[in-house]
Amino acid sequence: MRQVFHYLRSYLKESLLGPLFKLLEATFELFVPLVVADIVDVGIKNGDRTHIVWMAVLMVALGVIGLSCTVAAQYFAAKASVGCTSKLRRALFRHIGKLDYSTLDGLGTSTMVTRLTSDMNQVETGLNLTLRLLLRSPFVVFGAMVMAFTIDAHAASVFAVTIPVLALAVFAIMLVSIPLYKKVQQALDKVLLSARENLLGVRVLRAFGREADEIAEFEKRGDALAASQRFVGRISALLNPLTFVLINLAAVVLVYVGALRVDAGMIETGEVIALYNYMSQILVELVKLANLIINVTRSVASANRIESIIMLPEEENGCVTELDVNAEYAVEFDRVSLRYKNGGSDALSDISFRVRRGQTVGIIGGTGSGKSSLVNMIPAFYPATAGVVRVYGENVNDIDRGTLRRRVAVVSQGAPLFRGTVRDNILFGRPDATDAEVASAVKTAQAADVIASKDGGLDEPVERGGVNFSGGQRQRLTIARALVTGADILILDDSSSALDFATDAALRASLAALEPKPTVFVVSQRTSSIMHADMIIVLDDGECVGMGTHEELLASCAVYREIHDSQRKEASA
Amino acid sequence: MKKSRNTAENSRTWKFIFRAIKPYMIHIAASVLLSAVTVVLTLLIPIRIGSVVDNIIGEGKVNFDAIMPILYGTVIMAAVAGAAQWISGMLNNRVVYGVVRDVRCAAHRHIQTLPLSYLDSHPAGEIVSRLVADADKFSDGLLLGFTQLFTGVLTVIGTLLFMLTINVWITLAVAVLTPMSIFVAKFIAGRTYSMFRRQSEVRGEMTSYIDEMIAGQKTVKSFCREEMTLGEFDGINDRLTKCSVSAIFFSSLTNPTTRFLNAVVYAAVALTGALTAIGGGISVGMLTSFLSYANQYSKPFNEISGVVTELGASLASAARLLELTGEAPEAPDGDGAVTLTDAAGDVSFDHISFSYTPERPLIRDVNIDVRAGQHIAIVGPTGCGKTTLINLLLRFYDVTGGKITVDGHDIRSVTRHSLRASYGMVLQDTWIKSCTVRENIKLGRPDATDEEMVAAARAAHADGFIRRLPHGYDTMLGEGGESLSQGQRQLLSISRIMLSIPPILILDEATSSIDTRTEARISRAFTKMMAGRTAFIVAHRLSTVRGSDLILVMRDGDIIEQGTHEELLARGGFYRHLWESQFAAV
Repeated sequence: MRQVFHYLRSYLKESLLGPLFKLLEATFELFVPLVVADIVDVGIKNGDRTHIVWMAVLMVALGVIGLSCTVAAQYFAAKASVGCTSKLRRALFRHIGKLDYSTLDGLGTSTMVTRLTSDMNQVETGLNLTLRLLLRSPFVVFGAMVMAFTIDAHAASVFAVTIPVLALAVFAIMLVSIPLYKKVQQALDKVLLSARENLLGVRVLRAFGREADEIAEFEKRGDALAASQRFVGRISALLNPLTFVLINLAAVVLVYVGALRVDAGMIETGEVIALYNYMSQILVELVKLANLIINVTRSVASANRIESIIMLPEEENGCVTELDVNAEYAVEFDRVSLRYKNGGSDALSDISFRVRRGQTVGIIGGTGSGKSSLVNMIPAFYPATAGVVRVYGENVNDIDRGTLRRRVAVVSQGAPLFRGTVRDNILFGRPDATDAEVASAVKTAQAADVIASKDGGLDEPVERGGVNFSGGQRQRLTIARALVTGADILILDDSSSALDFATDAALRASLAALEPKPTVFVVSQRTSSIMHADMIIVLDDGECVGMGTHEELLASCAVYREIHDSQRKEASA
Repeated sequence: MKKSRNTAENSRTWKFIFRAIKPYMIHIAASVLLSAVTVVLTLLIPIRIGSVVDNIIGEGKVNFDAIMPILYGTVIMAAVAGAAQWISGMLNNRVVYGVVRDVRCAAHRHIQTLPLSYLDSHPAGEIVSRLVADADKFSDGLLLGFTQLFTGVLTVIGTLLFMLTINVWITLAVAVLTPMSIFVAKFIAGRTYSMFRRQSEVRGEMTSYIDEMIAGQKTVKSFCREEMTLGEFDGINDRLTKCSVSAIFFSSLTNPTTRFLNAVVYAAVALTGALTAIGGGISVGMLTSFLSYANQYSKPFNEISGVVTELGASLASAARLLELTGEAPEAPDGDGAVTLTDAAGDVSFDHISFSYTPERPLIRDVNIDVRAGQHIAIVGPTGCGKTTLINLLLRFYDVTGGKITVDGHDIRSVTRHSLRASYGMVLQDTWIKSCTVRENIKLGRPDATDEEMVAAARAAHADGFIRRLPHGYDTMLGEGGESLSQGQRQLLSISRIMLSIPPILILDEATSSIDTRTEARISRAFTKMMAGRTAFIVAHRLSTVRGSDLILVMRDGDIIEQGTHEELLARGGFYRHLWESQFAAV
């Protein structure tokens, strides 16, 4: 909640004025029953028509003042709640941009999106309601009681009993039903999951002929949902009837006590009417208050969820902004180990190697052997748990992240294209690239025919995730996007897997012809993609089991030989 | 013309609604009856309090003998009204939740029979939203709306009648003034509607921007584009803030304005009532009743106008649901459909042609003859129609010309179930159900023993990683198998096939995400599994298809070359070009 208050502070004036105007309005509303009592006890009793007319005018006047107060209150509340949420949303989005990879992995995309969208909306609603109503309702309830006491303390004691009893009933029902509603939500989520999975897996399910089981499972979940809804419905359906009975019971007692007091000559008939009117005001406000509290509770939960992300530490940053790009070694790993935050064992252990400027390094190994982990450590996406990674002789942890990542361009396997045009996507790598630079990046990435095949050329629209391009086309465009940055360390993380062999070979040739020659890391499962590298690193279960050229490894590394044979035997036999 | 179609559509929607609530007619009738009881009793109470007030005249002039029975009676009425309200509330719940479940399950059952062409052309998210959100909105809006409408109208009529019995002129004052609040509420709602629409547009824009950028956050970071995306975000955020403030402000004017108008009505009743009371037209007690009514009278009006919008939305949801359940299902298996058991595996494509859309023919006049036990490889660039052939084999789609036969039967004369049961399929896009590993593997053969399952997993080289999972075979897999790598997911779906081993196998890039060492081991298992079985293998790694009996080279929906590996190499065509390119040196 501290974050919310922090941003609310910039709307201090609005968030104070809003409730203040609301209280003014409520105060005027509380006068109305007194005016009615006056009409009865003075106007009707004395037959004074002028007095009655004036009193009616007074009532309308109270209404006008009340209305203007509320309009002001609503305006201030809307401005403060929307403004505060907008700042909070921006802060969260910005903060997510500053989180490191492992934190992003841990959070997951859908969580972050929910926090930025529906949780934000909930906070906005909660804030708005709080500013408008949270003070008003209790004020009216207790105001009505105070007014009752000014009429007659004896009769007003009925209020003192009724209010706590009513409040207890309302809040007890709310408290019992809230957790039950959570269960309903869980049951609904299960129904949703079942429906979505059924659609996504329709080919597999139909191929196995599992339609009947799917229907049975869905119906079971549907029944469970209906049952839990009925259960909570039974309790929450109690709210209105129960309060109705209680308030009428109180009214009956109140009128009886009032009658006694009139009989004793302590109050007048009109004042009994006023007391009765105050009683009806209470119920409306209590129910409003209870609903408000539910809403606010939800908003507080949302705010806390948002805050838990904002509180996550930002990615650490180094301060070195000058790199010696003429250093002999572009990348060095010195006894590096990596363990993921939630991982049990090391993803990489004790890896050491040095790469000269302009060299091409191949990295190969089985699924889950740590290939991607290794290359992602070069731009410090994952900091080493032990050992040191150096780029141009500097420990990557000490280098300013921006400086480092402008030098290192990564093309990861599933890197997305964004909505926009092809040009937008390539310029994403470097917005100020010239047309000639874009063209040359496209050419090197073997993407020229991709662009030529589209009617719009570079201005061809790209749909979200690049779904209007095939896997191989997407990969070539993401490579072009990385090339246009002009980075001098290039990492291709299994990013040519969807290319056919001819295109893959052409890509390798054009990369080798780049001038000045970048340092290139190629991650692949195919020996054919890396066999011509200056150095090949063979990973197995996070350990380096071989390092050297293709020929050296064939002679010395059993794992490499096995990989190579498995591909070669099939290919050439 | 268009209008008549709308009417027809509407009447279909109403029929659909009626069918849905028919089993609950007794509940609904009881609920309506109880609501009527509640309304009448609720309206009687102010009158009784009014007559009590009339017996409180002044000091020493309170008629307790008259008051007490009225007060007791009021307590009983309140209790009965409360009980009736509770019971009808529970009945409503039963109906609402029952209808929503019925409708949802019926729609889900219908989906199972829909052709793949429908499911492929409608995003899953959209169908799910109909199944979940629309079903909810339909039943909620319609039934709660109905009961609220009913009690609302009844309250208005009842109030008017009760007031008329007391005094005509004051009633008239109330009746004329009150609808004003509805007009004002409508006026504001109309004005805010466009603002809300604008707000929801911008909100939608915001959500899709957030969705896209958060999903691509790692790419954003790797190109240091955090500031740029923040700038774009700010642009949308500022617009959202502006239209949210006005939408929220204007919409929040509804309540205070109606409250104000209510206050005017109240003042008018107090004025006319008090003036009448001076003339002796009504008693003070009656004035009290009037004032109570004036207080409550505008409430049902507000509810009714709210309900009307909700009913509209609920009808729209019903129509959307109906669109789904009214979609024509796959042509059912014919009466004389053959049940295919223990298929030998002869498959032939006899002059088949096919297209997803009539304007763009995809497959033209393809002929293939596959004898049982042969292995057929299909190669070619992306989009050449490889996956389409599989869709046709399994009858996910039906050919538009020619016929496909299995063991001599036209597959359209075979029951879908038995046809599909003859195939074992491993697709490139693996699908994992969110249940345990065990259930996932046994998906194709739920009655398999654990020993058989483990043997299948061993054969697929999945046993090792499964045992390393936190709970082994009982590990719950998340939605889409997120906790597993793509390669592990493929191993799992291979295990499924290893467990059921049907006579015809379809392997669609089945090992594309598995490293070659593991792949080499699996392919040994595959070879064993494929021995004596017909197999269709789709691959872009030519190395995996070399040993096939027949290689089909596809391009743009046509089979441009076919033959064995050696024949095709000798021909020196497209295949040879593909083959050589994979050994091209840097």
